[in-house]
Amino acid sequence: MKKILVVDDEENICKLYKEEFEEMGFEVTVVLDGSSALAAIEKSRYDLVTLDMRMKGMDGIETLRKMKERDAHLPIIISSAYEEYKNDFGSWASDAYIVKSSDTAALRDTVKKILG
Amino acid sequence: MDPVERTELSILSEIGRISNSAEDLTRKLQRIIEVVMLGMGREGASVFLLDPSGQNVTLVAAAGLNQETVGRLKFPLGRGIAGWVAEQKVPLALADPYSDPRFQYVPESGIGRFKSLLAAPIMDEDRCLGVIFVLSAETWSAQSAEITLLTTIANQVSGVIRSTRLFQDIQDRLAELSTIYQIGMALNSTLDLDQLLGLVARNTTQALRAQGCTIRLVNLPDAGAARPNLPETYISEGVQELDARLGGRMLARTMGDKRPLLVADTSRDPGFQDLSGLPPCSLISVPLIFHDRVIGVITLYNKEDGQPFSEADLQFLTTIANGAAVAIENAAMFERVDHLANEARNRAQEFSILYDVGTAMSATLNLDRLLRIILTAATMGGTGLGFNRAILLLTNERSHVLQGMMGVGPSSWDEANQAWTEVARKHKSLMEWIQTGELFESKDTEFNALARSIRVPLEPGGGVLAQTVLDKQAFNITNAAPDHRVRLDIGAMLKVNSFATVPLVAKGRVIGVILVDNLFTQRPITDHDMRFLTMFAHQAALTIDNAVIHSNMETMNRDIRAMHEQVAQSEKMAALGAMMAEITHEIRNPLVSIGGFTRRLAGKVTDPDAKKYIDIILGEVERLEGIIHDNLAYIKNVKPQFSRAPLNAVVEEVLAVYEDELHQRGIRIERDLADGLPELEMDPQQMKQAIVNLITNAMEAMEGGGILTIRTLPLADSRESAMEIKDTGPGVSPEAMHNLFNPYYTTKVRGTGLGLPITHRIIKKHKGTLVFRNRESGGALFTIRLPWPQEKK
Repeated sequence: MKKILVVDDEENICKLYKEEFEEMGFEVTVVLDGSSALAAIEKSRYDLVTLDMRMKGMDGIETLRKMKERDAHLPIIISSAYEEYKNDFGSWASDAYIVKSSDTAALRDTVKKILG
Repeated sequence: MDPVERTELSILSEIGRISNSAEDLTRKLQRIIEVVMLGMGREGASVFLLDPSGQNVTLVAAAGLNQETVGRLKFPLGRGIAGWVAEQKVPLALADPYSDPRFQYVPESGIGRFKSLLAAPIMDEDRCLGVIFVLSAETWSAQSAEITLLTTIANQVSGVIRSTRLFQDIQDRLAELSTIYQIGMALNSTLDLDQLLGLVARNTTQALRAQGCTIRLVNLPDAGAARPNLPETYISEGVQELDARLGGRMLARTMGDKRPLLVADTSRDPGFQDLSGLPPCSLISVPLIFHDRVIGVITLYNKEDGQPFSEADLQFLTTIANGAAVAIENAAMFERVDHLANEARNRAQEFSILYDVGTAMSATLNLDRLLRIILTAATMGGTGLGFNRAILLLTNERSHVLQGMMGVGPSSWDEANQAWTEVARKHKSLMEWIQTGELFESKDTEFNALARSIRVPLEPGGGVLAQTVLDKQAFNITNAAPDHRVRLDIGAMLKVNSFATVPLVAKGRVIGVILVDNLFTQRPITDHDMRFLTMFAHQAALTIDNAVIHSNMETMNRDIRAMHEQVAQSEKMAALGAMMAEITHEIRNPLVSIGGFTRRLAGKVTDPDAKKYIDIILGEVERLEGIIHDNLAYIKNVKPQFSRAPLNAVVEEVLAVYEDELHQRGIRIERDLADGLPELEMDPQQMKQAIVNLITNAMEAMEGGGILTIRTLPLADSRESAMEIKDTGPGVSPEAMHNLFNPYYTTKVRGTGLGLPITHRIIKKHKGTLVFRNRESGGALFTIRLPWPQEKK
């Protein structure tokens, strides 16, 4: 079973994504900040990460950069309430950029496409 | 008593009687010689008197001689028997005078009938007054007793002459005093200088029996300034010609000497030798002296009896002149005071007018109103300047022209009469007129239109109006027709031949011109008018200048305020934008949770009511997410992705999406899309958004249904495509129109108020324009214009 790491400082978002992805048949781990996310990928191997941008402590861009340094091939989807990070070249290393929406269809489609 | 003694006594007693009579000297002498002739038993007698000059003896009384020679028969002193006796002062008896070498025979005297004579000098002390003769028709050798008798008689006659002359002198003196008294009375009877000069001249001429008189005044106190038309010269009739030749000379000599001058005979005076063709004249001239100052000269010409003027005449004239000088000085002083009083009264009146106008002018800073007050003051009679019409022109420094601003005045005689009669009837002051509705108030008078049409370039040769500005000088044009300074069009335009212009000078700068005329009354514009107008213009100029400065400052203040508001608005908008972005993001996360979990709930619920509620929640969440999206789109200002696309296709795409909803709301769509429009350089997504916003706007405006018209058309001239979106709603209120493209402004109960600002921004990014207007038939009309792509070469 493929594993997804959800990184978001909004607990409810984490819970929503976890339920949606588990329903799709994936194993989901949730962390609430950037440092925990880096610790999680040290401890265990993940097939996909969804990453929030605006977080307390280490922000999404920083977390993204460190994750890609650790494993350049790890697929990462940015899921942010902000659209303007699209213009920040720091976010270009991600595999997809999805603006958060109550309709998770676009997110689920992207996950499906990446994880085959 | 012997017969000679008796005769002597009777003659002397008779002479004494004659001497006491009231007859004049000639008559007395005539009677005396008749008594002597008869008393001495002879046939003739006569008296010669020595002239005042002492040069001649003249026959003054005769008996037995030709009476016609009386007053005419003369002998120089020492010539003839009469002249010899007068000179030698001794009696002479000649039995045969015809053989005596001293005798001069004058046949017409009638002396030829007489054969012998006896003559005796008439002595006053050692001075000879004349000679008395007794003539005999028979040869007669006078006895010594007879010689003594005639000598005694001569002494008696001397007394008669002296007493009579004394009496005559007293009479003359009395007459002179009476004349002087009368002239003195006359001098005090008037303070009118003209009358006074006439009085002095007439009385003096009469008293001295002269041909005429001139009076010249000089150095009167401020005469020139105080009374420009002072009659400085009086010339009586009949001596104009003489005065023209001699007056100046007499004036110069008398003024120079400061002393009375007597010229007995000009032909013998070295000072008049150069005057040719002039008959001999006698002149006296006396300076009029007041406080050691010569204020004039009085000159008399020729005595009527042909005699030269005497020292006595000069004395008399001097006496008169002393009194006259005081009277003339008084009259001149009075005139000056009177003139000054008049002047002061006029000045007071002028200042009162200027004060009124000044007060009225300072009451307003509104330029239009101010100009009207100034022109009303210029055209009001009584309390104003009283010109018929007035025009005010102001200079425009940028375009360098003089522009007519306003004209006040009646357009016709009827209007003039009516207006002025009304003014006279109501007795209103300028202030009252200004306060209660103004004269010739209506701005669309013919004359005002005429005034406003005047436009004169400020350059030499621009006519009198331009010259008034360039020379900083007032002009009083009294005859416009041949005056080269007046441009023909101005004269013809005003239909006047005379008018005046005065510059409006404020702080050394000419800011305009006032033009006045008296078209209707034809009253000439005087120097005094010009002086007053200039004063008035000075005051008006300062007030106008203030008003203009004030108006400029107000405009500047308004601009600054507007700019401040704009800046503040932008800052507010920026701050508001930043805050909105933050809030939006904060809201988006919970919305994702609410919406996400609700969707999950939907799959687990079977109760139809619950499903309906879930749909409502999801609908609202989506609406909120839409608002957030709009907000962020506006704040974020997404860059358009340009490509070539046909405008009509974009419109059709949008309409396809909204057709159902519009139909449901009872809105009919009318399409009018032009064929053959070129493809445009655009971001189709953003363009769609722009159109959607306008359609949404129209839809919401037509709550009870209506017609939505969408039209596209080419604008070949400006190389643009236009798109119009019309609705039949209520249109936009003026207040809302002002804020139409401002973000976050909305009149709608629901909505972000970002629709139109976003559309506006999208169109701007496409280098197009978005224009709004309320249609006359109701509803709103938005017009988008988008440029055609540049043709590549």
